[in-house]
Amino acid sequence: MSTLNLLLIVCLGYVSFLFFVAFAADRMAMQGRKAWLRSPLIYTLSLSIYCTAWTFYGAVGSAARTGFEYLTIYLGPTLVMVSWWWLLRKLIRIGRTQKITSIADLISSRYGKSSLLAAGVTILAVIGTTPYIALQLQSVTLSFSVFATDADGASADGNGNLALWLSLGMALFTVLFGTRNLDAKERHDGVVMAIAIEAVVKLVALLSVGIFVVWGVTGGVSEALARIEVSEFGHWQTDRSRWAGLIFLSAAAVLCLPRMFQVLVVENDDESHLRTASWAFPLYLGLMSLFVVPIAVVGLDVLPDGSNPDLFVLTIPLALGQDGLAMLSFLGGFSSATSMVIVAAIALSTMVSNHIVMPIWLKLLPSGASVSGDVRHTVLLSRRISIVAVVMLGYFYFRMSSGGEALSAIGLVAFCGLAQVLPAMLGGVFWRGATRLGAFAGLTLGFAIWLYTLFLPSFGAGTVLPLSLVENGLFGLVWLKPDALFGIEGIDPLMHALLWSMAFNVSGFVLVSLVTFPSPLERLQAAQFVNIFDRSTNARSWSRGGAEAEELMIMAQRILGAKEAQVLFAEYAAKQGVRGDLPDPTPDFLEVLERELGSSVGAATAHAMVGQITGGMAVSVEDLMAVADETAQMLEYSARLKEQSEELSRTALELRNANQKLTRLSIQKDAFLSQISHELRTPMTSIRAFSEILRDTDQMNPEDQSRYASIIHDEAQRLTRLLDDLLDLSVVENGQVNLNIREGTLKDALDRAVASAGIGEDGVHLDITRVPQREDLMLETDLDRLSQVFINLIANARKYCDADCPKLAIRVMQEADRVVIDFHDNGSGISPEAADMIFEKFARVSDQKAGGAGLGLAICRQVMTRLGGSVDYIPSQTGATFRVVLPYRLAMAAQ
Amino acid sequence: MTEPSDRPVASAVFHERKTYRRRRVIDAARIAPFLTVFLWSIPLVWPQTGEDRVSSASALIYIFAVWAGVILLTFGLSRALAKSMDPQVDDDR
Repeated sequence: MSTLNLLLIVCLGYVSFLFFVAFAADRMAMQGRKAWLRSPLIYTLSLSIYCTAWTFYGAVGSAARTGFEYLTIYLGPTLVMVSWWWLLRKLIRIGRTQKITSIADLISSRYGKSSLLAAGVTILAVIGTTPYIALQLQSVTLSFSVFATDADGASADGNGNLALWLSLGMALFTVLFGTRNLDAKERHDGVVMAIAIEAVVKLVALLSVGIFVVWGVTGGVSEALARIEVSEFGHWQTDRSRWAGLIFLSAAAVLCLPRMFQVLVVENDDESHLRTASWAFPLYLGLMSLFVVPIAVVGLDVLPDGSNPDLFVLTIPLALGQDGLAMLSFLGGFSSATSMVIVAAIALSTMVSNHIVMPIWLKLLPSGASVSGDVRHTVLLSRRISIVAVVMLGYFYFRMSSGGEALSAIGLVAFCGLAQVLPAMLGGVFWRGATRLGAFAGLTLGFAIWLYTLFLPSFGAGTVLPLSLVENGLFGLVWLKPDALFGIEGIDPLMHALLWSMAFNVSGFVLVSLVTFPSPLERLQAAQFVNIFDRSTNARSWSRGGAEAEELMIMAQRILGAKEAQVLFAEYAAKQGVRGDLPDPTPDFLEVLERELGSSVGAATAHAMVGQITGGMAVSVEDLMAVADETAQMLEYSARLKEQSEELSRTALELRNANQKLTRLSIQKDAFLSQISHELRTPMTSIRAFSEILRDTDQMNPEDQSRYASIIHDEAQRLTRLLDDLLDLSVVENGQVNLNIREGTLKDALDRAVASAGIGEDGVHLDITRVPQREDLMLETDLDRLSQVFINLIANARKYCDADCPKLAIRVMQEADRVVIDFHDNGSGISPEAADMIFEKFARVSDQKAGGAGLGLAICRQVMTRLGGSVDYIPSQTGATFRVVLPYRLAMAAQ
Repeated sequence: MTEPSDRPVASAVFHERKTYRRRRVIDAARIAPFLTVFLWSIPLVWPQTGEDRVSSASALIYIFAVWAGVILLTFGLSRALAKSMDPQVDDDR
């Protein structure tokens, strides 16, 4: 009695500890400290709910009964984990991007959000899981009874009560930590943390028993192996079909069991955790199965004949007086059972609530699916009720089956039932051609055959199936006997059921898929699922049937522009007589849309895009978005290119103009050079000629002599002037000129200039008008240079003004920060072509009035630049205007 | 729009090689389960009667040795594939 009491206390303590851990983990998660809670290690450990009490106790039992067959249950999951790269990774990615909440949800959303399929898978899951929960209850009560036999305390009734309390406790735990929130991804940090701890406890427990048996009882590894050699299963002996079939079945179970899907896909927080789990979970499974055979062999040796081999893990330590070890082992079994029930209850309740209760509830509401307001409380309530219902269903199953031997066989039966989901699941993930009707056909056929050949007969002939049916077949047809379909006898019943159910399931699924045509939404989902890696970083789930038209609309808006697309869609919707602005994506409409899009992106692209969005090609909607974006970007880019090329052609034009100017300058320069050589030669020629006459003529009258000498003098002066100008320009241009800054009035400078340039030697009279009071400005500048500029401008006016009565107006204007002096004549002005040339060196407006070297204005401009001002030609309607600008910092109003 | 100058030109050869290696590691990861199935199917052809029956001890050693090998292989592959898990470089199908 004391052992039992101690056991109860330990058990309660352990349970409270789990409650505390779950509570603490939930608190931590709420505070955002998730890093540790969501580590790859925790993820791997949470996968261990695969190892239930049935595997914890049953593996040894199975080894004792059938030899090495127990290994298959661990080899299958290992295979699945090894194929993580192309299978589990894809499932998890789909689960994450499509916001999958359960295996039923996965199947249903793949096949066009079919609620019928979801309900079907849910019912299958409930039927397959309920016996399994009962099995857990049985194993816990059995293990209790092992301790209780010492003190004759436990009866069948006591077991029942224990099971009831256990069920209620687990239901409470699940409700508390499993339905805290309505996360879109259905994550339960507290629960995951608790089952991770339980995973460690069961591994430690089993390893401890194993180590005790190998080193404590047999005395070492080699002794243990020797003992195995001489034991009942001294040689390799397995049913070959079961070896292959059970590996397949357990592999399928890992993928299809609702609780495995829950921890593997739904609770997954980070894809990279799978990387760790891919080797760590096989390691866990390997450790769990490592000592099973030694324990079984030792159990068969040590314990009296007829002991239940399922309980060897407990009874060996007890028999050898290791009570503490037995207690640990009990906790391991307890952990296995409770973690399985809790996760299974969460997974099933999500499915039952989402796919059965809620649809019915919404249908019963008068307002239907468009119910307004918050339905979250209703969902939570329905989920809580579902949890209690699922656990209680397991309890009642346990009570009804009275905990007999039949129950232990139910594990594989349940596996086989749930494996029926596998073809629809894998087909949906890897084959785009799989259709809803195909999945439905496969599931129905497989489920029916499983029910008929395995599940119903598992209750024993005569209980559910009448004896006559089992012996003579359905309707008396021998080839319909549940254990020998089509007259093929002698196969192991489980393999028989597995073979036929999978055969019919797969062929029904494939054939119906081949001949049926999927709905647009289904095809869209198929593309999303199968090509999940194409572009799925932010794929979305569509909750309504109109999603496709909506996606088309978004795409069209991106390409056609929002307003145009809306008009187009609304127009066609009106034509179809559809309410709202989104028309049905009929072939006609798609053709119209394709044409519209084609006008923007080209016919081929438009065809591909529309084809893709309706499921014609293997690209997700996100791809189309990207294509649309890219197209928009291309358009923008080409616009920018156009802009750039315009700029380039502008630059080219400028360059052409500059080149023309240079060419003109070059021609001018050539002309000037010939001109200047002519200019230089002419005086030279006359100088030479007259000096020769003076030298060679002996008796020359003094008149002629002085005339010739003055000609030579004039010509020499002309040469000097020309050379002076050239020298002056080069000095000013090279910046070698020294400015002689001093104060003086503008009036003085102008007076000087007018005096020296106003009356030319050729006697042409220039009428100069001035406004003297305006000129009374005090300047601080190089007045000589300034005068030189003025002289040049006045001389030019006198030289080039072609009016009959030439006039020059000199106007002075004082502005804010500068002084402007305009020289305006009344001539015909300068032609525009000449205007941009006159300030160049050697430029002359015309050849006929070749008075100077064409350097004057060039010098003026250089001088003014040196003085910080400018001189420009201002085109005007009457005559030519040269504008001299002086900066104000050098110009001060005269006091 | 990527400017042409943004593209890695200088390290193209190095890149190619790395990508090539990664692809082969992915191939290995794909083949691994088939290898495992093959190795664990071998017990199917072991004779179960007669003189040359396989003893349980060696059978156990074989199966667990394969298991350990598979775990090591998967461990190595998962390390090698660490970078490929990045969604950005998920260019294999």
